[in-house]
Amino acid sequence: MKRYDLITPEGTRDLLFEECAAVRAVEERLQGIFKSKGYSEVITPGLEFYDVFDQKSRYFPQETMYKLCDNKGRLMVVRPDSTMPIARMAATRLQGQQLPIRLCYSQSIYRNKPVMRGRSDEFRQTGIELIGSGSARAELEILSNALEVLGSFETGGYRLELGHIGFFKSLVAKLGCGADKIESIRSLIEVKNYPALNDLLDDMGNNEVTRALKQLPRLFGGEEIFEAAAALDPGEDGMAALGELRGTYARLISMGYEGKITVDLGLVNRMDYYTGTVIKGYIEGCGDAVLSGGRYDGLLGEFGMELPAAGFAVNIDAVARTEMKTRSFRPGAADVIVFGEDGFEAAAAVYCKELISKGYKAEYAVCDSVDEAKKYAAAKGIVRLDIFSGNGVEELTVSC
Amino acid sequence: MDNNARPLRIALTKGRLEKDTVALLEKLGYDCSAVHDKGRKLILPVGDSIEVVLAKAADVITYVENGVCDMGVVGKDTIMEMNGKFFELSDLGFGKCRFALAGKKGEDFYEGTHIRTIATKYPNVARGFFEKKNMDVDIVKIEGSVELAPLLGLSHAIVDIVETGTTLKENGLEVYEYICPISARLIANMVSLKLRKGEIEGLISEIEKVL
Repeated sequence: MKRYDLITPEGTRDLLFEECAAVRAVEERLQGIFKSKGYSEVITPGLEFYDVFDQKSRYFPQETMYKLCDNKGRLMVVRPDSTMPIARMAATRLQGQQLPIRLCYSQSIYRNKPVMRGRSDEFRQTGIELIGSGSARAELEILSNALEVLGSFETGGYRLELGHIGFFKSLVAKLGCGADKIESIRSLIEVKNYPALNDLLDDMGNNEVTRALKQLPRLFGGEEIFEAAAALDPGEDGMAALGELRGTYARLISMGYEGKITVDLGLVNRMDYYTGTVIKGYIEGCGDAVLSGGRYDGLLGEFGMELPAAGFAVNIDAVARTEMKTRSFRPGAADVIVFGEDGFEAAAAVYCKELISKGYKAEYAVCDSVDEAKKYAAAKGIVRLDIFSGNGVEELTVSC
Repeated sequence: MDNNARPLRIALTKGRLEKDTVALLEKLGYDCSAVHDKGRKLILPVGDSIEVVLAKAADVITYVENGVCDMGVVGKDTIMEMNGKFFELSDLGFGKCRFALAGKKGEDFYEGTHIRTIATKYPNVARGFFEKKNMDVDIVKIEGSVELAPLLGLSHAIVDIVETGTTLKENGLEVYEYICPISARLIANMVSLKLRKGEIEGLISEIEKVL
């Protein structure tokens, strides 16, 4: 029998020292930003019932979820997403709270990905959810937070991309075709598959709507996109979506984010979960979006509480990996190591605590002799060795 | 590792698609001499603004998906088999062939109620094709000449790429059904397209002019 006791499962990994420090640094930075803005942290269980992710607005293909059974035979999944459990939690536990509710979280996500394609099955996500407000102010709150977060990453440039699912929905509504067809069109627009999209729409006739849909994946860029999109005559709802997006865009520009925000009306992923503005954040040096989110006004209703909501999540591992390319997270050596001679072990421990309370980073040596302590200190790069004995403290300088 | 000063990196599928793509780039006026005299080098400059990476078809997708190459040229067959997260921007029109279901000449594949065994290099494509027909089939993955499988009695039929059909004919096989057409596609990494929009769109519109 082959034993798998020395390796970790595919798509997971141990994070050691520098990698771990990088992940925590990014996580803490974001938590700091969110908490300073009045967001309260929540933790949801690592295991949830399958049904939580099997809503009408189903976004999770079942093959991407890790599943197991509880002792009553009920199907459970290892948390594949934070927003849906938080929606469940808010709808069941946060009734009667003053709205809007500001929540933040930082937890791992598990998804079964195709093997050996350079992607992780486990990654840490930190994010916020703003529940109970559908106003333009709420939109601005979420988007400006997303921009602040992207700006806090110590990588090259960043870009926040805005889209609006309402524009696409309004166009396909005019098409009057079935849900399957709409899903095919949506998925082709999502991956900007121009050739296949053209083929599919050619079969549906040459009219204003099909011509407009063919343009949709190309509608990304700066402010000029709004004019180009309006020219496609997207109908009343489409124009409303466009107006909403344009308003948000203008407000962000006035906050000084010129050149940092772009528009992509072909951003139509997970349409059933998101209902309005959708966002993606990119940083230089990372081949995938590191931030994604949007407005999901229908989701809490699925759990019995009709409330608008919006939020975003950041892929902490991806950001940490990218930051590590340009700066060091190597944890520094201790300032001092304290060794207690035989009979002075306890006194040395007390002295070590005193040093720490004075602000030193101090290790308590668990070696059996001064020589061993010296060797250890030299190997670890600790330059000062304090020896506690009957004569008090002797301070040695260690050459590393 | 990454900065905007680096040339646009394009992964090409080694072999025929590579030659066709290089011919296309030359038509656009790019200096491809480094690719012609490549020796054993795998990363080659094309003009000042492009760098070409030579890779196996499936690897082209992996490199583009992970963002270490901005764009790629790869056959629709590999895209259908691998799937993945990237933008498929253009049908380059070369490398044309078709996916087909084929087997021994004169036999009726659909006759009878037995479970069919299908040999293929493209198990996902084959599975998808039979799923649409609500047919359960056994799929055997073959690496080399798939045509051997029905001849040796390993499978009832094959799902494979057919260009002219000569190999099938010479071995007493025939196409039962065409599945879909295939050609070379230009793909792009999802972040590269956004962060280097001008360069990538510029190249695509140049390409579309000569196609």
